[in-house]
Amino acid sequence: MTVEQRIPRGPAGNLQLLGEPNASAAQSVAPPQRATLEPPLLLFEHVSKWYGPVLALNQVTLELTGGITGLVGANGAGKSTLLRMANGQIQPTMGRVTIRGVEAWDWRARRLVGYCPDVDAFYEDLSGRRFVWTMARLCGYTRREATRRTEAVLERVGMAHRAERKLRGYSKGMRQRIKLAQALLHDPELLILDEPLSGIDPIGRQELLELFQSLAVQGKCLLISSHELEALEKLTNHVVIMARGRIAAVGTLPQIRDLLDDYPLSVRIDVPQPREVAQLLLNLPDVLAVDVAPPLPHESPETLVVKATHPKRFYQQFGQLVVQHGLNIRRFEPLDESAHAILGYLLGGSGKT
Amino acid sequence: MAHTDTLLRYRPWRGVPHGPLYASVALARASLKLLLRRRLMWGLLALALLVFFFFFYAQYLVVWIENQLATDTIRFAGVPVNAKNLTRFLDRLALNGSDHTFGNFIWYQGYVLVIVLALAGSVLIGNDFFHGSLPFYLSKPIGRWHYLLGKSLAVGVLINLLTTGPAIVLWVQAGLLYDWRSYYVNHLSLLVGIIGYGLVLTVTLSALVMATAVWLRRTVPLAMVWMALFALLPMLANWLVEATKDERWRLIDLWNNLYLCGLSCLQTDHATIRPSPQPDYWMAWVAVGGGVLVCGMYLRRRIQAVEIVA
Repeated sequence: MTVEQRIPRGPAGNLQLLGEPNASAAQSVAPPQRATLEPPLLLFEHVSKWYGPVLALNQVTLELTGGITGLVGANGAGKSTLLRMANGQIQPTMGRVTIRGVEAWDWRARRLVGYCPDVDAFYEDLSGRRFVWTMARLCGYTRREATRRTEAVLERVGMAHRAERKLRGYSKGMRQRIKLAQALLHDPELLILDEPLSGIDPIGRQELLELFQSLAVQGKCLLISSHELEALEKLTNHVVIMARGRIAAVGTLPQIRDLLDDYPLSVRIDVPQPREVAQLLLNLPDVLAVDVAPPLPHESPETLVVKATHPKRFYQQFGQLVVQHGLNIRRFEPLDESAHAILGYLLGGSGKT
Repeated sequence: MAHTDTLLRYRPWRGVPHGPLYASVALARASLKLLLRRRLMWGLLALALLVFFFFFYAQYLVVWIENQLATDTIRFAGVPVNAKNLTRFLDRLALNGSDHTFGNFIWYQGYVLVIVLALAGSVLIGNDFFHGSLPFYLSKPIGRWHYLLGKSLAVGVLINLLTTGPAIVLWVQAGLLYDWRSYYVNHLSLLVGIIGYGLVLTVTLSALVMATAVWLRRTVPLAMVWMALFALLPMLANWLVEATKDERWRLIDLWNNLYLCGLSCLQTDHATIRPSPQPDYWMAWVAVGGGVLVCGMYLRRRIQAVEIVA
């Protein structure tokens, strides 16, 4: 079961693409009573940030209320700036960032936020346990409570039995886990994770993905920046795509794909009679082209690659076609609905981030 | 990690997390522990302890000789010497439980203190900036000022550990060496003066450590600037005073200014201060206050702009 199935999503209407004015916004879950009574968990209002002559964020408006949101974009797109601003590490040059109505720059807002930065510059002389404990004390807990929470989070991230070692002896993956542990200490409502999967082995990655999912199920809001698109897709299909300091798109991947009118949808269809089906498909108004794919070794030769506009309408029309003609569809696979493909369309090039 | 469905199941905690001031204290404690992990720091503390022991035992020796051997002569290298003359070389330090005793003690501790603070600045603050550890601290519910307060507390503890604390022990010892009832009553103002001197040192040097560490961040440049402040400027001040016959040039010597402020807390007669001539107390206070103000303004400016930009 994926997280998307568990967590209800926000309305499809809160989705915009680059070039449209502002208000790229909103999503997802939170207990209903909270959503109505309290300000949004994280709110960016027309936020811009300049580093000298460089515009890092440009009129960003974003609202998060729950669930898992992936933050993707090329290097230098403004992801880290956005995350740091959400955590109050950076002040906006213009606009406002609030956490439940409190300015993110204010220390009170950070009671609600856990931050796992991309840097792992620790005091190398400390043990992992000592570092996390010190961070717990900075959260204002008593010694006893700090110890209890330290043990709990170390257990949670799978570091309890390795936490006595000094940080300088940790591998990249262990450092990531320790960073995650310190972010979880005060049981924050909003968890901001900057590249949390970087350097983690496949088994550890799966464990962390499960951890993120369980946190989301418990009502936490996670904002995760990652270049690991495949891993991110496993976790959520709700993404914020950033490009050149602006939010290029917000929404689920299919929603974003639907809005990419300039890029026809590519769908692979395996059928026993490809030429006849191709003829039927070409009669559909949204189909631009149908290719009969050349046979590949060890693959079915009966493959069509259809290019169509308006994906949603095409899916409906294709469904009707299948029912009317009793087509025997062996395989139906959208080829460019992945995060990679969508990023490629939005950002240009291969979509590599 | 195996039972992820049980994750984040904290046992309910009924307490309320303390505020950021509490976190500042925790930060100070953690900072001190970090610092005390360094052998160099223990070496410097041992050096400071040696200075203290010198004053402690010398004060005892002087009083003992005064009381026990005042009229005796002893043979020193075959030559009969009045016992009192043996301690004449200590007269300059005024080891008699007077205001100058404590002023001199803190003056000499300053040589070690300056090195300790240069190290503390680079380890406690410079490293946070230089290695990028700040995001961890500032992602917790504390403000920038609370962070600086925590670090200042750690620096303040070091300063008082090396100066005010031992000076108070010397004051207690002096009372025990003389008539303790009359000494403690008649010289209570000295205790207040020592505490005042410590307060001036704590505020000024903490602000200076913060400002220079935030500015320079690395150990070597930091040590160089501190050397300039506490070694070159005093030499330059002496040279300028001698050349121009204007004692106000001593105001460029921060440690001398702090010394004057301390002596004014100890209510020392201005005419007895060495080296002489010295600028008036109020001038030293203005100079020290100005320095603190500049450091505070610099820190405020930096804090408004402290942004964690990797």
